[in-house]
Amino acid sequence: MFIDFFYKLRDVGLQVSPTAFLTLHRALSMGLVGSLEDFYTASRSILVKSERYFDLFDQVFAHHFQGADMPDPKGIELDELARSMLEFWLQRPQELSRLLGMDEQALKKLTPEQLLEYFKERLKEQTEEHHGGGKWIGTGGYSPVGHSGYHPGGMRVGGVSGNKSAVKVALERRYRDYSQDGPLTQALVGEALKRLRHMAPAGPKDRLNIEKTIYQTTQNAGEIELVFDRDLKDKLKVILAIDNGGWSMDPFIPVVQTVFDYARAQFKDLKIFFFHNTIYDTLWGDPARYRKAQRIAGFARLDPETRLVIVGDASMAPYELMATDGSIYAEERSGRPSIECLMFLAQTFPRNVWLNPKPAETWGYTRTIAAIRQIFPMFELTIEGLEQAVSHLMQK
Amino acid sequence: MSNQETSNRFTGASRYVLDDELAKIVNISMALEMPLLLKGEPGTGKTMLAHAIAETLGMPLIVLNVKSSMKLVEALYQYDTLTRLNDSRFGDSKRDVSRIEDYIRMGKIGQAFTAAARTVLLIDEIDKADTDFQDDMLDVLDQMEFDIIEIDKTVSARHRPVIIITSNAKKDLSDPFLGRCNFHHIAFPDPDMMRRILRVHFPSLDKDLLENSIAAFYRMRQIDGVEKRPATRELINWIRALKADPDCKTAQIGKGEPPYLGILFKKSQDYQRAREAAARRRL
Repeated sequence: MFIDFFYKLRDVGLQVSPTAFLTLHRALSMGLVGSLEDFYTASRSILVKSERYFDLFDQVFAHHFQGADMPDPKGIELDELARSMLEFWLQRPQELSRLLGMDEQALKKLTPEQLLEYFKERLKEQTEEHHGGGKWIGTGGYSPVGHSGYHPGGMRVGGVSGNKSAVKVALERRYRDYSQDGPLTQALVGEALKRLRHMAPAGPKDRLNIEKTIYQTTQNAGEIELVFDRDLKDKLKVILAIDNGGWSMDPFIPVVQTVFDYARAQFKDLKIFFFHNTIYDTLWGDPARYRKAQRIAGFARLDPETRLVIVGDASMAPYELMATDGSIYAEERSGRPSIECLMFLAQTFPRNVWLNPKPAETWGYTRTIAAIRQIFPMFELTIEGLEQAVSHLMQK
Repeated sequence: MSNQETSNRFTGASRYVLDDELAKIVNISMALEMPLLLKGEPGTGKTMLAHAIAETLGMPLIVLNVKSSMKLVEALYQYDTLTRLNDSRFGDSKRDVSRIEDYIRMGKIGQAFTAAARTVLLIDEIDKADTDFQDDMLDVLDQMEFDIIEIDKTVSARHRPVIIITSNAKKDLSDPFLGRCNFHHIAFPDPDMMRRILRVHFPSLDKDLLENSIAAFYRMRQIDGVEKRPATRELINWIRALKADPDCKTAQIGKGEPPYLGILFKKSQDYQRAREAAARRRL
């Protein structure tokens, strides 16, 4: 029963295990499922293990039991576009009808559903893509409706399903918002970075471990045995270097700010430096990169166990990295190409990572990213990436 | 379905407003004898649900608050060597010193297994513990038994407890863990649901106060860049404060800076941001 449904779920990439599927059948055979609504609830809670896949599940469910469209990424995008057009229409009807070259009065007669359909049709008609420009819909550009346009929807809220049919509930797609990755909040960063705390025993064994002493003593039937430990000290030293210059890092400021805030609150021995695009002979202790210069040559005196974390998009003109006087700031030109300075840092602090806020799948398109990746292990600035970076830093 | 079973179905409790979907999921998990994993924003009532189930079904509730340093054995049992030593030296208790079993104290999971009646076992904030703890614990809950090494005895559950596990983490738990649970994500209640929840908590609440505070509350949840958005608990406390304040004018709640913002926003940055947003609205 429902084998098709099972494989359809697997086809769209839901990791539904056969065991879970058998559990669902156990629920069916126990008479727990009396209607399609019950089946929807039961199958979702048994088969789907993360709210991120709820939306996908809803779509497959609606498709299987009512022949709704199978989820295909293009359709979803079209859907979103049409929806954002509708929202824009509700706010500023004149402007949109002008942009579409349509009569406002004619559009006003349509119901929201009809409008949505109409927008979708218009979007399908538009065969060639426009990127930029101000008139039609495309990605980017200043036309108000479109892929990267303003989308005022906010987080939709699921809630009581009440008396609606299961298919209708599924078609509502209440969980659409959960399918996207949430923003990186400080609490999330904290979770990932927590493992970086490095408690190591240090000093003489002069701390009485009372719990172990009692345990050992009682194990000895009362012959007192004292257990001593060394003090635990957080020995971790961290240098955090942040690319805070130029427009290329602008979109990532909130995320970097989060990492920065957390790091400052968490690590006892933390030095923070700033640079623009790449590192030459100096790093700057102040965000304006103006007053507190720090020669990187001086880093050789620091503990080589220090963890070096560099945050930056590693995207720049290749000559900035390779040329002997590549810096865009004249006073920084010293005759050493930046790539040599980076290598020097990597050798001084063998435990290093580069966190890149750009998505990993785009790294292949930028030459300087490829060059820097050969020097520093690079990780995405996401929760998964941070965790990988932390475990890389903690490797023995 | 027999009468016995009907009485064992969960339909909601006096202080907890339940939506149908969640009630179904709870009942299915109980029938399948599988743990139910609940995720959701803080303040959506994950922990409250376990209390409500225990109350409705008349079962005792056992809460295991997971801590990051916790070892699985602590949740199962403890061998109280100190009392045994004391007894062996001074011998003034009725316990038999030569029987180690007398000195085994059950942990929370152990208590749930050995209880005389079926219990509700709430394992709160499982995400705090490390992955090993989670997987090992699920093994125990799957087998419904564990060994006490000191006395070489296996403890099996007399009644399978109803197990509710909560997690706050955005991150998914490990696959083997998820494979053994049913899963539900509690969405943040919509305004209608919130009205029902508030009516349960404040049966005699003034209608204007209710509507205005709900409207203001959902508007403030929309403020961008707030790290810890106010949840149900904050709203309930806020209304309690508004009710207690004789100077509070119901109609004023939605206008200007809402009173007692500190109840809703508990981080100084968030508080600041909420005040700024309120000031912008006034202009």
